Amino acid sequence: MTEPSAPFTPEQEAALRKWTQYYPYKQMGLVEALRCVQDWHRHIKPEAAAYVAQLFGLPFNHVWGVVTFFPTFTTKPTGKNRIGLCRGLSCWLAGSPQMAKRLESTLGVAEKEVTEDGRFSWEEMECLGACEQGPALLVNDRLQGQATDEKIAALAKELK
Amino acid sequence: MGKLVKYRLNGREVEAEEGRLVIDAAKDAGVEIAHYCYHPALGNPGNCRLCVVEVAGAPKPMPSCRLPVKEGLDVRTDTDAVKRAQAGVLELHLVNHPLDCPVCDQSGECGLQDYYMKVGRYPSRAREDKEHKGKRIEAGPHVMLDQERCILCTRCTRFVDQVTKTHELGIFSRGHQERVEVAPGMTLDNAYSGNVVDICPVGALTDRDFRYKVRVWYLDHADSICPGCSRGCGISVHTSTKRPWHNEGRRVARLKPRWSEVNGHWMCDDGRYGFANLDTDRLGKVLRLRPERVELSWVDMAEELAGRLDGVKVVASGMLSNEDWAAFKALFVDTLTVQDLYFSAEPDQIGAEDDLLRKKEKVPNLKGAEALGLKSGSFDRLAEDLEAGKVRCLYVIERDLAKVWGEARARALLTQVPLLVFQGPNKGALGDLAHYRLPATAYVEEEGCFTNFEGNRRPYRKALEPIGCARPDWEIFKLLQEARS
Amino acid sequence: MTKILTKHFDEPKLHELETYRRLGGYQGLEKALSMSRKDVTEEVKKSNLRGLGGAGFPTGGKWETVPPEEKSPGPRYVVVNCDESEPGCFKDRVLVARAPHQVIEGALIVAHAIDAHDAFIFVRGEYQNQYDILEDAIREAESAGYLKRCGMKLMRGAGAYISGLDTALLETMEGKKAWPRQPPPFPTVVGLMGRPTAVNNVETVSMLPHIMVNGGDWFAKIGAPKSGGTVVFSISGHVEKPGVYEFPMGVKLREVLAAAGGVKGGRKLKCVIPGGASMPPLVEKDLDVALDFDGVRAAGTFLGAGGMIVLDETADAVAVAHNIERFLAHESCGQCTPCREGSAWTERILGRLLDGKGTPDDLPNIQRVGENITGKVICALGDTVGVITRAYLAKFPEDFKKRAANG
Repeated sequence: MTEPSAPFTPEQEAALRKWTQYYPYKQMGLVEALRCVQDWHRHIKPEAAAYVAQLFGLPFNHVWGVVTFFPTFTTKPTGKNRIGLCRGLSCWLAGSPQMAKRLESTLGVAEKEVTEDGRFSWEEMECLGACEQGPALLVNDRLQGQATDEKIAALAKELK
Repeated sequence: MGKLVKYRLNGREVEAEEGRLVIDAAKDAGVEIAHYCYHPALGNPGNCRLCVVEVAGAPKPMPSCRLPVKEGLDVRTDTDAVKRAQAGVLELHLVNHPLDCPVCDQSGECGLQDYYMKVGRYPSRAREDKEHKGKRIEAGPHVMLDQERCILCTRCTRFVDQVTKTHELGIFSRGHQERVEVAPGMTLDNAYSGNVVDICPVGALTDRDFRYKVRVWYLDHADSICPGCSRGCGISVHTSTKRPWHNEGRRVARLKPRWSEVNGHWMCDDGRYGFANLDTDRLGKVLRLRPERVELSWVDMAEELAGRLDGVKVVASGMLSNEDWAAFKALFVDTLTVQDLYFSAEPDQIGAEDDLLRKKEKVPNLKGAEALGLKSGSFDRLAEDLEAGKVRCLYVIERDLAKVWGEARARALLTQVPLLVFQGPNKGALGDLAHYRLPATAYVEEEGCFTNFEGNRRPYRKALEPIGCARPDWEIFKLLQEARS
Repeated sequence: MTKILTKHFDEPKLHELETYRRLGGYQGLEKALSMSRKDVTEEVKKSNLRGLGGAGFPTGGKWETVPPEEKSPGPRYVVVNCDESEPGCFKDRVLVARAPHQVIEGALIVAHAIDAHDAFIFVRGEYQNQYDILEDAIREAESAGYLKRCGMKLMRGAGAYISGLDTALLETMEGKKAWPRQPPPFPTVVGLMGRPTAVNNVETVSMLPHIMVNGGDWFAKIGAPKSGGTVVFSISGHVEKPGVYEFPMGVKLREVLAAAGGVKGGRKLKCVIPGGASMPPLVEKDLDVALDFDGVRAAGTFLGAGGMIVLDETADAVAVAHNIERFLAHESCGQCTPCREGSAWTERILGRLLDGKGTPDDLPNIQRVGENITGKVICALGDTVGVITRAYLAKFPEDFKKRAANG
């Protein structure tokens, strides 16, 4: 059994506990709680999932199933800045394959790999719901439209 | 039983309980519908999409595992549309399957093979590379996992979630990347882990104990009862005698659970894998070992021994069948008027109990003795009597006293006994101490009946011929009794 | 041109309660609360409002199947579906950002209609801005006393397209993998945590305040015979002016295309996907198709969620089909076999065609594989997997034949 360890600060633990009580049923807070863990650790380790499982009174295999199901959750770390590039049909028509190449060359890493300094990782994502502004980017959970070479260069420079 | 209603199955009017799933109702009426994910004890997720039937008025084929019978329902399992749907779905089940039947242990009892022959038979059209996943994963002490062969029916994960509630397995990731996996940091080591092999309809979960031992089409099957505890689970004994050089020469290849009201679909790992002594350490000859070793016929043995049994103390065990106990009583209690019987379950026959199947008495038939009014004395008392030299003759039936008292102590106690008789299938640690050693059949070599802890009769059939001249215990008792009269 | 939802979109502060109320906001809720639950449902039935998340199921009819309190005592829930993830659809994103109170007011009307005391808005995780806007709006609504009868909470998804399907949405909300359920029972009977639940799309609920204020007949009159009111199209792809456009139901495709400035660069039209990438495309000859649920259906495809993608003559049907099938294969939840295996297989065959390794056998084969998927699966995503390639193959056989001849 993956031993549930408590890799969380007291504030983080309080935040997780909040999600166990926020909805009418405990288990309804699971996805939100896992989103927190992903934000804090930039991935979800089995130990952390086991801890969350215990908090929510759910079997570990259930929580691990949820972790591995949803694309937002990763089992290996993302960069400090996680950049998503939409490859949905409209963004693809608008040139997202070229932007993928641009992200790779600008950041110097392949998709889903992390830059050496840990600052970045990028990945292709399915439709981000910004089809009229393609190619769309999701930069740390925030949508940005009209990706261009310049915009990508600026992100690489400015994001800490 | 709910209300009976009439519905139509392939044009024939059939009666069934209202609400019964069509897949079950059809089976009751003799029509088997191909399926993978449905299992009567594990629910009907409806994910394999194979059990489709045509329903009058429905626009598309419906999964019969999710279709309740109701009055007037008109179901067909034999139309071209159904056959096409099943063949099409089967092709998709197989598109990423490695087709490694020649080296797969499931060959011969595989749902993919069976249904390909029954509803498939299409030419292969897949030109694409197959999805690659994990192979030869040791899921636990008894189970090997091959993710490429898996069709993701979720039976095994439902088993560990719903039946054992131990949650070791999960379906992780999603889409075509999805795989059955042991949850990180866990091992499939619950007390019932072998059942996942039985319910796996394909070769994804195989039995490490049985793997590569013998092809299943060389096996014979006999209905039996597990003697591993007082539950009396229905089992099927699978024997390999057609190719004696297979299975490392052992005749029993594996035990499988057999559905009964006592155990449902399951059996525990202790019972399943606890048959090693059925072919090793066996007795096959009637012997007088002391003063010198002489092989006897049964009749000569009986003539010789019957007269010397007065004042005998008798050790036995709950391994005896009801037939054995009856003959035992006739000989020892009614004829020889023996007071001192010892057969209770001691620490050698006590083990783990849980609320699923396992009972703490690790012998099948103490109830059978109880039903005849037989009472066991204390083994401590017997040890004292042996120590004090008060035992002139000791008759030990199907019990290894080394496991009751420890080998050194048992050896010391038994060495002093003037007449020691051993009877049973196995020699055990102390077999050489006996004056007479009588070979008895193992339960797989005889027909009989146990009475389980609830008082249910549990009849079992003969799966194998006896070894050498071994006879059922009751026959030996009867011989001795006849020799006395 | 009649606009309902986007009528006031030029108001910069429409997202604030004060502005929303100044423009008539929350009068629909007041009206609804003054009516009996049954009358609210009747009015909505009269309006011919149909689910604008893609299914097109009559909204009032859906609520009617919520069992009455005496038959199912205990809580009942409202879930607003803002998990918009279909390629080509972004109208919910805009509707929430510009008029969050319209969504909240609509949700409260649903709550009254089915007697629910808890409402949830499920927002896809990528719409963090919308989440923040809704959070502020809910706070405003609460201070203004609108949430006394029915509370409202937000929840975010975690990147799975399938979560947008009602039963998969409920599974996600229950902290499970988004594996669709197999109705019956439908969510209105057994929904969130086993309780009766009305799951309605953002755009659908946004219509409700207007129906309450102006009446069902008014709404029905605006639209097509069996699809009342308006529909908000998201338009993207090869057009001059992509964006959201609101039209009455039944508007001609030609008209919508013209409003969006026509095909980009004056190029020739290849096709228009009417409802989101998983709907078969319409072509030049379909330009006069009436865009409402039944009109589009009659043309062999679906209005879906009005996510319109325009493709010009430069688009290659094989590459387009591959992009969509790749999306579906990635988003297949993996629960049922035909979709899980069939989507990946279809994607690979199309990929091989694109790589110049196609053979003439591939075309009947993808046709056949598609037939073996559609209608044999648990949910609509799977059905789509089998439909898309066949649709592009049927409409643009030349593109496919060119690729298949390469091998």
